[in-house]
Amino acid sequence: MGRKKVIEVLNLTKKFGDFTAVDNVRFDVYEGEIFGFLGPNGAGKTTTINMLITLLKPTSGEAYVAGYNVVKEPYRVRRMIGVVFQDPTIDRYLTGYENMYIHGLIYGLPREKIRNRIDELLKFVDLYEFRDKPVKTYSGGMIRRLEIARSLLHIPKILFLDEPTLGLDPQTRAKIWEYIERLRYEHNVTIFMTTHYMDEAEKLCDRIAIIDHGRIIALDTPENLIKMVGDEVVYVRIDGQPIDIDKLRGINSYIKDVEIRSNQIIFSVSNSSKAIPTILEHLVGLGVDVQEVKYHKPDMGDVFLKLTGRDLRDDEGSWKDMVRTVLRRWR
Amino acid sequence: MEGVGFTKALYAMIYREVIRYRRAYSRMLGSVLNPIIWLIFFGIGWASLFRDNIFRQIFLGLDYITFLAPGIVMMAIFSASFLGGVSMLWDREFGFLKEILVAPSSRSASLIGKSIGIAFTALVQGILILMVTLPLTNNVNLYGILPAIIVSYIVSLGFTSLGMAIASRMNSMEGFHLIVSVVMMPIIFLSGAFYPINGLPDWMTILIYGNPLTYGVDLVRYLLTGVYAVDPMLSLIGTILFTTVFTALSAYLFEKTTI
Ligand SMILES: Nc1ncnc2c1ncn2[C@@H]1O[C@H](COP(=O)(O)OP(=O)(O)O)[C@@H](O)[C@H]1O
Ligand SMILES: [Mg+2]
Repeated sequence: MGRKKVIEVLNLTKKFGDFTAVDNVRFDVYEGEIFGFLGPNGAGKTTTINMLITLLKPTSGEAYVAGYNVVKEPYRVRRMIGVVFQDPTIDRYLTGYENMYIHGLIYGLPREKIRNRIDELLKFVDLYEFRDKPVKTYSGGMIRRLEIARSLLHIPKILFLDEPTLGLDPQTRAKIWEYIERLRYEHNVTIFMTTHYMDEAEKLCDRIAIIDHGRIIALDTPENLIKMVGDEVVYVRIDGQPIDIDKLRGINSYIKDVEIRSNQIIFSVSNSSKAIPTILEHLVGLGVDVQEVKYHKPDMGDVFLKLTGRDLRDDEGSWKDMVRTVLRRWR
Repeated sequence: MEGVGFTKALYAMIYREVIRYRRAYSRMLGSVLNPIIWLIFFGIGWASLFRDNIFRQIFLGLDYITFLAPGIVMMAIFSASFLGGVSMLWDREFGFLKEILVAPSSRSASLIGKSIGIAFTALVQGILILMVTLPLTNNVNLYGILPAIIVSYIVSLGFTSLGMAIASRMNSMEGFHLIVSVVMMPIIFLSGAFYPINGLPDWMTILIYGNPLTYGVDLVRYLLTGVYAVDPMLSLIGTILFTTVFTALSAYLFEKTTI
């Protein structure tokens, strides 16, 4: 691939005591892509981000962000990146505008430019009307949006988003997804994001690294990852009407396999939305009375299940991770 | 020093502290009240007992309230500054610290800016207390007020920085308050704020002369009333020296801070 690498990670490891939070991780992120880290709580996503953004020293291994070594040239790395942390990093007593203004100053921007860009960005995240309200009056979703706007103020080359929709309601999540998708076109930025929501990773990311217990266990495009677990399946209920299976082969090129099981026909297909109409047309042509059509499209959840034997949906981290989290709060 | 825009970061943090302070009236009121209570109930009590002119020579020729007033002002400024370090722990708690740590500007600039802002708010409290106190005193040199304010600010910046230095090594409020409350009382009592520092036992004299606050208290008292125990020039040098060391120490420790 001739594309430019903007993040290069070589065997990065982070140990806390003798516990390995990030284990020999290795990957590249290319310019302009949305790269996702998908994994359950405690998988090591935040720890990886903290190393890439120069806030945590790796135990071993190396990482380059925008061509700079994260350990040796932290100030250069910081100049190239924007970060939206997992937990809020806003001053609640200041207004949205003031938070952004201070950000602009500590990123060394000229005052005039800061003022103009703040308004533009607050409009981008639909917070313009709230610019002069203290942040403590904002909802969780508004704080998130403010943080996204703030992280763009200094025009970063690479944006780090750690669980951008954690704990938000479905409408707000959809809104944030929309901003993220628009970001890379309108602001021309490479995005490194983490999430433990499969739908989010599948919808937004060009490539996904699945991480579990500090290790990357798979890395590919969502389509390829999903292909790995198998085809899409179309179920047609015909309630025992007699049918010759040979008449069902070769209906169209998307169909890979057909079988008849008691009251339904099961098609394995490569693209259900393309395959279903012609299948139905063909069945009607054969005089079959179709009772019901269902299909199952494998998703990232199936991928995670296949790779780890665990269901990501139920996996909110093991009890050990929870104990650790609680202990950390009380430290 | 690495990083972009030193003065901008400095300004940003001063701006932030000043806005925050303006929005927290209750904090200001609470911190002004305490020293005034000291002055009235402690000060007037002893002043009545020391009313007779023969006591004046103990207090370097002043009446007790006039002697005590600069000490109370400095006590207030010192406490507000030193405790101001806790705001770094609040920033850690509420996440804002990460915003500073990941920024490309010099961390020292952000920290020093923060200290300058907090020291300024402590000074405002000190000035308020001075204004309440002045009517109770006699023969205060009005031309000395401005120089006294400048010296107070230098002291304030020093102790804010010391508070920041301690806070940057801590990750809990409890730990910070424990350390601060253990050292705060001795620093106040051994500074000459409440009684003259000449003619005390040797061990106490040693502690007093090692106490950075002593020089600030003595110098401010000199500027306001004309009496002193330490050569004012020496006090000025000592005050500036302590503030420089504490500020440098806080910046050094903050550069190394992790999340
Ligand atoms: N400062 C720390 N000290 C000790 N353990 C930590 C620390 N930070 C994270 N961990 C542990 O490292 C593991 C990975 O954490 P994290 O990177 O936050 O996971 P994720 O972001 O994927 O949920 C967890 O088990 C967590 O408890
Ligand atoms: Mg995390």
